[in-house]
Formats: sequence, structure tokens, C-alpha cells
Amino acid sequence: MLEVKNLETSYGLIKALKGVTLTAKKGNLTCILGPNGAGKTTLLFTLSGILKATSGQIVFENKDLFNLNASLIVENGLALVPENRLVFPQLSVRENLLAGAYTRLRKHKEAVNNDIDDLFKRFPILKQRSSQMAGTMSGGEQQMLAVARALMSKPKMILMDEPSVGLAPMIVDDIFSIIKELNQEGISIILVEQNATKALEIGDYFYFLNQGKVSFHGEKSEMSKESIIKSAYLGQ
Amino acid sequence: MAIIDFIQVSIDGLLYGSSYSLLAISFSLTFGLMKRINLAFGSTLLFAGAISIWLSQFIAIGIFGTLIVVLFFSMLANLYVEKLCFAPHRKGKGAVVSMIASFAIWMQLDEISSQLLPDRTHSFPELEIPSLYGETILIRGNHILHLTIAVLMVIILFLIIYKTRYGILMRAVSERPETANLLGFNVERVNKMTFALAGISGGMAAFLILTSESQITPFFGVWCTIKGLVAMMLGGVGSLVGALIGGLVLGLVEAHLTYQVGANYREIITYALLFFIIIIFPGGIMGNTIYRNDKSATERI
Repeated sequence: MLEVKNLETSYGLIKALKGVTLTAKKGNLTCILGPNGAGKTTLLFTLSGILKATSGQIVFENKDLFNLNASLIVENGLALVPENRLVFPQLSVRENLLAGAYTRLRKHKEAVNNDIDDLFKRFPILKQRSSQMAGTMSGGEQQMLAVARALMSKPKMILMDEPSVGLAPMIVDDIFSIIKELNQEGISIILVEQNATKALEIGDYFYFLNQGKVSFHGEKSEMSKESIIKSAYLGQ
Repeated sequence: MAIIDFIQVSIDGLLYGSSYSLLAISFSLTFGLMKRINLAFGSTLLFAGAISIWLSQFIAIGIFGTLIVVLFFSMLANLYVEKLCFAPHRKGKGAVVSMIASFAIWMQLDEISSQLLPDRTHSFPELEIPSLYGETILIRGNHILHLTIAVLMVIILFLIIYKTRYGILMRAVSERPETANLLGFNVERVNKMTFALAGISGGMAAFLILTSESQITPFFGVWCTIKGLVAMMLGGVGSLVGALIGGLVLGLVEAHLTYQVGANYREIITYALLFFIIIIFPGGIMGNTIYRNDKSATERI
């Protein structure tokens, strides 16, 4: 579904990605693990068009997405849930969701409103808060809103950047069960996560990034907890 | 002070203040909602006024034509400011650079305007509106029009900003341009449309004030900037209703203090008021929580 070949991205002279090659299969929950500074967020930003790659290939469902604008990538069915949520704090919950459906809002207002109602069924807490300013909600609620906002663009694949960061362990469980649910409903997911134990519970396929390169990858069955922790935190 | 004088001065102040409100409302769009410090805003209004006077030397455009010309050129000049000062620094880091660049455009537009208007004062077409004369009280018709238009402008802008699709985009872009970009917004176009909207509402304010004063001087731009800024800050940056109230309060305070200590002190009063607002209640009358919210996350992406 998503094929990345020899992707290189730099910040000025510093190469953050030094030729990353990975494949995410349709319907899979692909996890990307690695220590701080391995290039995980850079990879997601490059995939979603916020950063431009210097060389490589990105093919999504047989379409070349290499260095397209962020808006075109969203239209092609890839949506990013950024780290730290980044909801619009001064907009109400409902407006945040409307903003997520920006590309469809002009012509299909009715459909967008129906989608919001559907999302409210999945996330009842957001319905309760629909007219509250997003910035006043708790971290977990904001994370749900960020996921819901990404769903508004009807993505085929969601890229999640550390959804558990800064959340209480109980809330993390909630968020992970939502991610699992979405995946079971047929949305492919690429999950970047520091919380390796949690990721091991729900992931199908694993990639380890270290210093801008894939150090190893494999199915869930090939993963032992020790090897994951070594790779994710110690970079071995 | 006789009670009748007190009433007359209060009415004068409030109604004169409605001109300040008009300015403050247009300032609010760029400064408050877009969080852009555009020092050239007053000059774009002067420029639009100057163009209309300059044009009227060649063709009789009439009062309605003048309105169209002022609205059009204040929009155009504002887009020009956006293109030169703000479009290159969209990521928030260039806020100071943008402000300094807008200072340069301020000088430029003022210079062009004074070339267009070589004399110190030029007459501006007057809008003839009958005034109300009571037994002892006078209410100027122009000022009633200002107040009406100011209230209408607040209502219209409120509907645009809070009830339309474009309004959602505009607020989203002003809060987190990078996230907005991520969701597929055309950030550049939203910025341009907001500057155009600010230009048009500023043009409306300038037109009403100039027709009421029936003259234009090269100092009109600076006057607009100072009065608009003070009224906006008095009301609370980012709040449209605040801008309306701020203008009226500024007018009221100015009128009373001028009546007490003399017209020469009018400008000093304005600056003193600005000073006190900043010291005593920096949030303004409608002091809002915009700047209290977590901004650290915005800088990261």
C-alpha cells in the first residue's frame, strides 16, 4: 500500500533520514520504533508533505506522492495525527472537526455533518464538549479530538506520531484501544511510538529506526520484548 | 459643569468615539485575529483617500465613486502590504521582521500619498446628513451614521468570523498555520482574504471619517494608526465587541478631559490613556484569554 524507498531528508547540512526503505501493507498496523533523534517524526513529516525529501521514492496505492504539497497528500488519503495533538485551541470541538474536513466542506456540507454525528457516536466525550474550546480539554480528550479530526478527511491510512506522549497510563490504554479499533475497521495505520511495550501489544509489523536508517524489521512473531527494548531505547 | 453640558459632552464623545470604533474594528482583524502587527495599516487608509482625491482632479467620481475608490484601493494597498511584509514570514518566527517591514511600507505609502496631495489640507467630498437639533442638545447626523455602521460592521464581521466556513479557516490559520497546512488548507489564500477583508473594512472607516471631517491631511494615516490602536487595546485585542466599546470609551474620555483641560491636550490624553491601559489592565475591557492559553506547542511544529 505504502512503499518508501531510499528516502533522504535533511535539515540544512544535517541528514535526518539517510535512506529509509519500508513497506506498510494494507490493513496492517505498522509500528516504527527507535530512540530519540532516530528520525521517526522526520519520516512522518516527510510522508505527509510538511518536509521535503532530498531524494527517494514514496508510492501510495500506486500513486507517486514524492514531495507533493501537504494538501494533495491529504486528498490522496494519508492523514497525520501530529505529536502533542496540535488541535486548534481557540476553536470549538465541532469547529476543529469541520476544519479537518476542509477539503469537502464547500460542496458536501451535509455529508460532513453526518460524519461528525458518526464520530460523536464513537467518541461520546467529544459530543458532550462539542461547543467547548478545544484548548480547555484534557490531554486525552485532545488526543481523541486530533484522531477524530484526522478521520474527517476520510483517510485510507493514518500516520500517528506518539499518541501516548504526556498522557496518563489509563488514558493511553483508551487511546490504544481506539487505534486498534480503527485498524480493525480497515484503516491502515503507521504508528510511531516511544512506548515499545504498548506498541508490541497492538502492532502487526515493526520497523526500527536508528540514526536515520532502518536497523531491522520483522513480523510481530519475530519480536522478543528484549530485542525491541534494546533497539528502541539503546539503539543496538 | 452644568448637567446639560455634561450630557452634550458625553453625547459628542460617544458619537465621535464611534469613528475610533470603526478604525479599531478593522485593526482588530489584522492585529487581534491574525496576530499580525501591521504598522502600515493607517497609511493604507491615507493612501486610499489620497488616490480618490487625486482621481477626482481628472474625473468627477462623485461621492459614491469616492466610496468605491477608497474601498478598492485600501484593499489593494493592504494586499500589497501582506505580499511584501507578511507572506514571506508566515511561520510566526518572523513577527518582528514583518513588523519592521510594515514600518518601511508605512513610510513608503505616506510618501506616495503626500506626493499625490502636495498641499497640507485637501477638501474631501462631504456626506450631507441632517443633524438633530434639540432645544439645547446637538447630535451630528454623520456621527449617528458612524455608530450605525460600526454596529453593523461588528455584526457582519462576527457572522463572517464565527459562522462561516471561511471564518473557521481564518481562525485556524491564525492559531496554528503549520497544522492548518497539514490539514490541507491553502494558508496563503486565507491570509490574503483576511487582509483584503481588513482593507475593505478599514476603507469603510476611512471613508466615513473623511466625509465627516470633509478634509484630508498627510497626517491622517498616523492619526488612524494611533487612535485605532489605542481604541483596540482599550477594548481588548481580539474582541470585535471590545473594539466597538473601546472606541466609544476613548471618545468619551477624550471629550470630557478636553472639555476640562482644553483641546490642546487631546493627543496627550490619548497617549496617557494608552499608557494606563498597558500598565493597569493589559487585557483591555473585554480582556480575553487568548494569550493565556498554551502557546508552547505552537512553536514546535
